[in-house]
Amino acid sequence: MAAPRGTAIRRTPLERIEYAIIVTTLLAMVVVMLQPILNLLAVSFSDPSRVAGKSGLDIWPSGFSLDVWMLLLQHPNVQRGILNSIFITATATFIGVVGTALMAWGLSRPNLPGRRVIFLLVLVTIVFEPGIIPDYFLMKRMGLLDSYWSVILYKAVNAWYLIILVRFFEEIPEELLEAAELDGANAFQIFFQVVLPLAKPALATIALFYLVFHWNEFFRAMIYLNDQTKYPLQVVLRQFVVEGDKLAIVGADNAANNIGVAQINLKALKAGMIIITILPILAIYPLILKFFTKGTMSGALKG
Amino acid sequence: MSSVEQNATVIARVTGNVPRSQRFANSVRRWWPYYVMLAPGLLFFLVWHYFPIWEAKMAFEQVRIIPPNLWVGLKHFQTLFASPVFYQVLANTLIISTLKILFVFPVPIIVALLLNEVRSGRLRKFVQSAIYLPHFLSWVVIAGVFIAILSPSDGAVNQITGFFGAKPVAFMTDGNSSRWVLVFSEIWRSAGWDSLLYLAAIIGIDQSLYEAAELDGANRWQKVWHVTIPGIVPTIATLFILNMGMFLSADLNQVINFLNDVNRGQIDILDTYVYRIGLRTGEYSLATAAGLFKAVFGMILILSAHFVSKRLTGKGVW
Repeated sequence: MAAPRGTAIRRTPLERIEYAIIVTTLLAMVVVMLQPILNLLAVSFSDPSRVAGKSGLDIWPSGFSLDVWMLLLQHPNVQRGILNSIFITATATFIGVVGTALMAWGLSRPNLPGRRVIFLLVLVTIVFEPGIIPDYFLMKRMGLLDSYWSVILYKAVNAWYLIILVRFFEEIPEELLEAAELDGANAFQIFFQVVLPLAKPALATIALFYLVFHWNEFFRAMIYLNDQTKYPLQVVLRQFVVEGDKLAIVGADNAANNIGVAQINLKALKAGMIIITILPILAIYPLILKFFTKGTMSGALKG
Repeated sequence: MSSVEQNATVIARVTGNVPRSQRFANSVRRWWPYYVMLAPGLLFFLVWHYFPIWEAKMAFEQVRIIPPNLWVGLKHFQTLFASPVFYQVLANTLIISTLKILFVFPVPIIVALLLNEVRSGRLRKFVQSAIYLPHFLSWVVIAGVFIAILSPSDGAVNQITGFFGAKPVAFMTDGNSSRWVLVFSEIWRSAGWDSLLYLAAIIGIDQSLYEAAELDGANRWQKVWHVTIPGIVPTIATLFILNMGMFLSADLNQVINFLNDVNRGQIDILDTYVYRIGLRTGEYSLATAAGLFKAVFGMILILSAHFVSKRLTGKGVW
């Protein structure tokens, strides 16, 4: 355990060596986690003609060029992917947070009649999942296939996040609520004027959970959406990088005649696509560190 | 109303002995706003989680182009259990889950123990911020990263092994290595983040235990062995049991991004099998039957995990 600073603890040479080994191991882990991403970043900014054969160990661009970035950001498939992802993520996160908060508030009232039954209904959904085919047929039956709403509404309220919020609301001191009630506030006013301001950090945590979840979601979009123009960024990335479908970005004409896009190194394009897809996560990463860490430390097992 | 009756009502109200109908009316008056707020979320659960359970009856039907479907009982299950592919994907699922329990599960515990030894708060924060990152990347991105790292021509791994004289290996398409690619990508993604839960448990350990150990002359390893590890055993047990509860899953989102025609024999799992025969080949009923098989055994596993965990550590799955 960390010794309090300022107290002089004499360390033997052996202990110093042990400590050096521990720190080195952790720093090696940092390198393993970050180097691959830095390498992709470097590749995406390299001169495309010098990318072929560039070592995966490099973290510095070979030459410098914005070609890959200009090309990707001006590419209609990428632009649409970005807009689709933003729209789906924003809408789904909003619906998720509102739905979860309202439901959690109701479920957190210990005397609510039917509370146990509703809780049980929610828990059953964690334990029993009939699988992707019934989900797919439900979407079909509801006429939502190939619509943004299939991805947005699919399990819009997450059972785990709901439980986290219920736990949080249960902690709110009863006296605060009673005081508001005595002041003549009705149940809605209590929720919006007393509970929500108190729950801001918890709601921010849940919002980030949903945000990351929806931004990273690809499987449902892949099976529910047919129309390529509706694909979120993750699905475009998957086509291009994982399935190795050049045409997702390069385009049939260009590929056949080897002009324009096709001349730029595929490896560089793939690296650029990966970086573009994780950029929003990197942008909110400080917030993630602040809220996720707290949310997870305070006893929630799933995150 | 006579005064006697009036008194009776007053008494009833005070003692809570109110007539049923009136109690109900009171209850509605008191609680309706909460039900209104609950309703949208509850509706979501009913629609997105309970309708599919109803749809799953397809596993017992012959799907016909013109409804209604034909009831065929257990026919699809018989087909499923007679199919060698089913046993292969089942075996793959169990093998991959076992590998993950053996090789992925212990890593975050070690990481947490190491992190806890770091004296400088700044260094610890820096390491944490860096190693948590992969947890927040999608499996599509991680697969992309691994395709790059493992590239036989210029990927980092082959560059390093090449330095020591090894021949380059195409790990992504080499059937022998694909299960290990799953193990390592899972470690890359979760080793950092999952250590947080253990770190939280370590921070919760009573400091006086360490002081007592120090007075007894314990060194670093003795303190770890006799104080820290016993202190986090309940957390280890809970997370271990939770993992066992997910044994039949083996993570669809991960596997589907690493699966290709070459490594299908090694890493095709139940979920990817359901996806392929259901949505690609269109054998809806058979796929639903396979999905139900997984759902039922998955449920048994999770419920067992929950009750075992509750009994052993006081903490359940939820």
